[in-house]
Amino acid sequence: MDGKLRELLDISENDFDVVVRITREEDIAIARQMAKQLAQELGFSLADVTKVATAVSELARNIYRYAQTGKIMIRKRLEESGGPAIQVVAADRGPGIDNVDRVLARGYTTHERSLGIGLPGVRRLMDFCEIASKVGTGTVVRVEKRRRKF
Amino acid sequence: MAFKEKVVPTIRIGDSLLVPIQIDLDDKTVEQLQAQLLEEIREHRVRAVILDVRMVEVIDSYISYTLSETAAMAHLMGCRTVICGIQPPVALTLAQMGIELQGFLVARDLEHAMGLVYSP
Repeated sequence: MDGKLRELLDISENDFDVVVRITREEDIAIARQMAKQLAQELGFSLADVTKVATAVSELARNIYRYAQTGKIMIRKRLEESGGPAIQVVAADRGPGIDNVDRVLARGYTTHERSLGIGLPGVRRLMDFCEIASKVGTGTVVRVEKRRRKF
Repeated sequence: MAFKEKVVPTIRIGDSLLVPIQIDLDDKTVEQLQAQLLEEIREHRVRAVILDVRMVEVIDSYISYTLSETAAMAHLMGCRTVICGIQPPVALTLAQMGIELQGFLVARDLEHAMGLVYSP
């Protein structure tokens, strides 16, 4: 887990199409707008654009809520064997998560104004979801969604 | 609770309050909307609040939490809350995330919503 987290925390911003720094509440809406735009550019269906934007909204809020600052990085992946995909990396150097399995269980939350549905929801909306976290170091969530064929 | 200006302009129809949400609901906005609606319910003694979300493109877990909380508060003030016009992609996303909009009556459109307000 440590190796993976370090690798993801050191990932270069230059490899991404968009980097949104999350420092204010308003940045959550900016991140979801950017995700929506990139998914549209990739030709995602309206349903999948909405799912990606909603997932990014959850990830950005988690950063703001638990780590205060961090960043959302988004890139279009055209070379994927399964067809075009959008990849989102949400990274922060916040307090970290001591039990990743627990935050992926529905209904678990440490925040009073929450359903505990954010991360499990993200996992359901996306095709791929990977979380690396260490208490005192930070958290990185990497998610992906492929464009559906019709 | 005082607010300087309404984040969403509302329309009084009989003893209902129509709330057409035509802006991006960010966290601050949805909290301000909650405060605004509670104040308007108290001030105008409306029997129902109708949230028209046709223009809303993203409803995530926090927005749905805050809207449900608003509906619960309205209920405690003797007021019904009806939500109408949820877009198909938004409905799909909410369903897939397993989010239930608790405390609301759900209507297809404004006409249906008005019907629900005045049903016993």
